[in-house]
Amino acid sequence: MTITITQAILLGIIYWIGEAQLPFVSLWVTQRPLVCGALAGLVLGDPVTGAVVGATINLVYLGFISAGGSMPADMALAGVLGVTYAISGNLDADTALAIAVPLGLLGTIIWYLRMTFDSIFVHMGDKWVAEGKFNNLYLSNVILPQIYAAIICIVPCSLAAYFGANYIQTFIEICAGKPLQIFQIIGGIMPALGIAITLQYIFKGEAKIFLFLGFMAATCTNLTLIQQGIIGLIIALIYIQVTDRMPAASASASGNSGGYDPDYDPDED
Amino acid sequence: MSNNTSNKRLIPKNALIRASLIWESWVQTCYNYERMMGQACCHTFLPIVKHLYPNDKEKQIDLMTREMEFFNVHPEFGSCILGLAVSLEEEKAMGADIPNEFITNIKTSLMGPLAGIGDTIYQGVLIPILLALCIDITRSGDGNIWGSVLYAVLMIVISYGFSYANFMFGYNTGSNAIMEFLEKGTLNKLLKGASIMGCIVMGGLIVNYVKLSCGIVINTSGTEFSLQKSLFDAVLPNILPLLATMGIYGLMQKKWTSIKIILLIVVVGIVGGMLNIFA
Repeated sequence: MTITITQAILLGIIYWIGEAQLPFVSLWVTQRPLVCGALAGLVLGDPVTGAVVGATINLVYLGFISAGGSMPADMALAGVLGVTYAISGNLDADTALAIAVPLGLLGTIIWYLRMTFDSIFVHMGDKWVAEGKFNNLYLSNVILPQIYAAIICIVPCSLAAYFGANYIQTFIEICAGKPLQIFQIIGGIMPALGIAITLQYIFKGEAKIFLFLGFMAATCTNLTLIQQGIIGLIIALIYIQVTDRMPAASASASGNSGGYDPDYDPDED
Repeated sequence: MSNNTSNKRLIPKNALIRASLIWESWVQTCYNYERMMGQACCHTFLPIVKHLYPNDKEKQIDLMTREMEFFNVHPEFGSCILGLAVSLEEEKAMGADIPNEFITNIKTSLMGPLAGIGDTIYQGVLIPILLALCIDITRSGDGNIWGSVLYAVLMIVISYGFSYANFMFGYNTGSNAIMEFLEKGTLNKLLKGASIMGCIVMGGLIVNYVKLSCGIVINTSGTEFSLQKSLFDAVLPNILPLLATMGIYGLMQKKWTSIKIILLIVVVGIVGGMLNIFA
């Protein structure tokens, strides 16, 4: 399936909404492949495939943290392009993932471009504030930086979507056989990264053993993840209640007020 | 110190609501390395400033200029700092002797801890768990869009709701209350409980979504012996996905960046696929 220029531009706009942090908390919502993938699917006439492929790609970015202005990988670009290629090239979700995630690394360039040159608009804001034109803050804080963001987001993403979608079929035909199998292997391992990043935050102290409980529960039973999550919540509540009754444990817990590390960022160093 | 010393307030409720909405909506629209969220902080004061100094443009400009300084925090968890700053500026406008540096200092001293907690709870616990469950909903059966819809709706409601409540918390209670909250054990208990639940969900996620199986088949005297089928599946299925996840976790503990790990996975996938180690 080839895509039209209008569709390509719409895909670029979805990427822009996700990446440039427009309202409705795009940082937490539309930037996630689970959401922007479904939107991209909608543009291409297949929202369900979009949601499923987006969900699969999102596994890689489960616990990705953008802290202190860093952006370890561009999940919105991976989501939009991955879904586009999956639908136009009839790829399965794992293959789309293996193609989209490395592409997402390129997207960080756009983030750093934005973070660097947005300073220009701050200086405009400085000037307008000094002159007492406070309403112009809408210009310097929202409209102008967003126009800039729209240009650097929409153009590359639309081009990549348009040309990529129209060549992906040929590309996959060339790759038939072994290379395609390798894509699937890579796509199958990649979600481990998303889980491992999340573990950086929660695989700590007393909670560690519960990872293996969850692993065994899923291996030995047919629980859905939702059911397992609810059971997990109950186990967590029971555990907190029980440990609260133990004076020594609760004393050490409250004495250790720095249970989190404010400067901790797995991708900073 | 900024507790309700007086019932007389200069700022009407709807201006506070507007300020909090501006903060949550436009907090990172002009995110940049020079001031980070500084301009968003100044923008938040837009509906406030005219109520504080109705007829004094000079003082309005002073206030807006000092709120323009470097500021960076977690949007939702940090919104109490904005509420606090608004309440301090209000007291100052009402005649309290609050030096400019005091307001700036209290903002900068709170932003570190709140960014740390916010990033950990939001991006390290809440979002991964919510995502994991919604991804599972989306991929159940033949696939559907409800996981995406549910996730989007929940995150918007949680973010706007929490951001507004936290803004008002900062505005109404002051810096001591925020400090107290940061030091109390409740937060740690919450984090511990969430980590336990998160670990259980992540354990399930490894089983359901990490796919890795061994392709080595040993041919001994005519009988084929598949490592995966005869060994791993018999002893502990999913052992390879678990090992892969823990291996990557170990590398991250050794300060490998995610970019390096993505490249490693690509290389391992190519080599493993070519040599038929993985299938």
